[in-house]
Amino acid sequence: MSLEVREERRGEGLLVWAAGRIDSNTSAEFEQRLMTRDAEARLVVDLSGVDYISSAGLRVFLILAKKMKAFGGRLVLCALPPPVKQVFDLSGFTPLFVVEASVEQAFGRFAS
Amino acid sequence: MSVAEAGLERSVARLNSLLEVSRALAVELDLDSLLRVILAKATAVLEAERSTIFLHDTTKGTLGSHLSGEIKRGALTLPLGVGIAGQVALSRQLLNIPDAYADPRFNPQFDRETGFRTRSILCAPLLSHRGELVGVIQLLNRVGGGVFGEDMEEMLRAFASIAGVAIDRARLVEAAIEAKRTEESLRLAHDIQMSMLPRAFPISPLLDMSASLKPARSVGGDFYDALKVDELIWFAVGDASGKGVGAALFTAMTLTLFRATARIARDPADALERINRELSRDNDNMMFVTMFVGVLDPGTGEVLYASAGHPPPYLLRSAGAEPLETIAAPALGVVEHAHYPLGRTSLGPSEGLLLYTDGVTEAQNPTGRLWGIDPLEAFLQKTGMSSCDSLARRLVAEVDAFAAGASPADDLTVMALRRAPAGRS
Repeated sequence: MSLEVREERRGEGLLVWAAGRIDSNTSAEFEQRLMTRDAEARLVVDLSGVDYISSAGLRVFLILAKKMKAFGGRLVLCALPPPVKQVFDLSGFTPLFVVEASVEQAFGRFAS
Repeated sequence: MSVAEAGLERSVARLNSLLEVSRALAVELDLDSLLRVILAKATAVLEAERSTIFLHDTTKGTLGSHLSGEIKRGALTLPLGVGIAGQVALSRQLLNIPDAYADPRFNPQFDRETGFRTRSILCAPLLSHRGELVGVIQLLNRVGGGVFGEDMEEMLRAFASIAGVAIDRARLVEAAIEAKRTEESLRLAHDIQMSMLPRAFPISPLLDMSASLKPARSVGGDFYDALKVDELIWFAVGDASGKGVGAALFTAMTLTLFRATARIARDPADALERINRELSRDNDNMMFVTMFVGVLDPGTGEVLYASAGHPPPYLLRSAGAEPLETIAAPALGVVEHAHYPLGRTSLGPSEGLLLYTDGVTEAQNPTGRLWGIDPLEAFLQKTGMSSCDSLARRLVAEVDAFAAGASPADDLTVMALRRAPAGRS
């Protein structure tokens, strides 16, 4: 089982779509994929295809949020399937992120 | 000197230089040094201006370049079949190209980027003694102009067969060292983690207690602890993110903080706030740890508790098991000034608590399905009252049965505690 990641430019933002498992086996690669790119001012991560996220996966999002905050970038997570949402909620980390229901709503955040 | 004599002399000189190469390569086990020696010797012996080795990456199916003069691994990567080197990798046949720019297979991109002007190319596959593709060696521009002759082709074949075997051996050595290093760091992580766990629980006639921790191969983040402070029993279960030595050290730090804090904190919420402040300091790589802390008065059954992003424990009531109500608060190490709400409950005689880490509910079977929360609840209802030791063992056995031999992705920890039956106090 693995993780698939795709990127798509949308206007002035970047949409990253992830599917599969973000766990201790795939998180390092996912982190590298998200971090090594040039600073992205507006980033939306669509998690609709993710069926499992472990604490190692949560850590990637914490690092990403911290990094983006440091240079004033905006990160929005969207379309979290219930099991993924549950992991964010249980860890108490949900309030640290901007979370939207859909990709459209996520990009709508940038319009305001 | 006759022409024949001059030819013979040249052959002898070349044989000697090959011998020298093979001697030099025989002693070099470090891959980077070996490549440096091969490139230097190839450039000199084969009279080229520049040489490049492309190493074959079997997992990616690509070639990564190592240039003479500037060893930089993977500076240039090509798919097999692309460019002259890619062709040679695919066909495993030597190519001698007198005029690069007249050959459609030649990719001038690199020349454009470096300002180098390629004229002639001599390129040969590097094979292991088992005949596997190790890489490609490419010589550019015969010194003094002109093209590489047939004698040079022969020379390169001999050179490449020595180099291929030497590189293959150095890579095997490198892989073996890496595997050993990984194995040792896993063992270190495991030793740190295990050495931090309490050897025994506080003994009280009023309380039964047991815990079990099954470490996964590459993870080192779970922990549990219990200690007596005055007449109260402090207990905790936690799970640090990440794996290996890093997670094990974070675990060790958390446990150390817990032991120090339990003696001075007002209650579990205060303890978590103090531990969190310490762990959040300079935590740039965003390690975090989920943790449940409770304190039980074994005489009265009163329990105070707080949770930092940890799965809620189960209350083992006389009437059955029910999840303990916890309010979401962030796992430790991330939000420096986080507030942790204090919870309160009470255990009657024979009642208890079951704490666990997500290694229980996220245990996987061979098809990748997770065990989940419902089977855990069903197990607790079915099992009812039993000794803590037997409860913990049976729960671990139940998870094992579900996992059916699939190797666990996460540590698994279970802790059970139960007040003595009525009349014992």
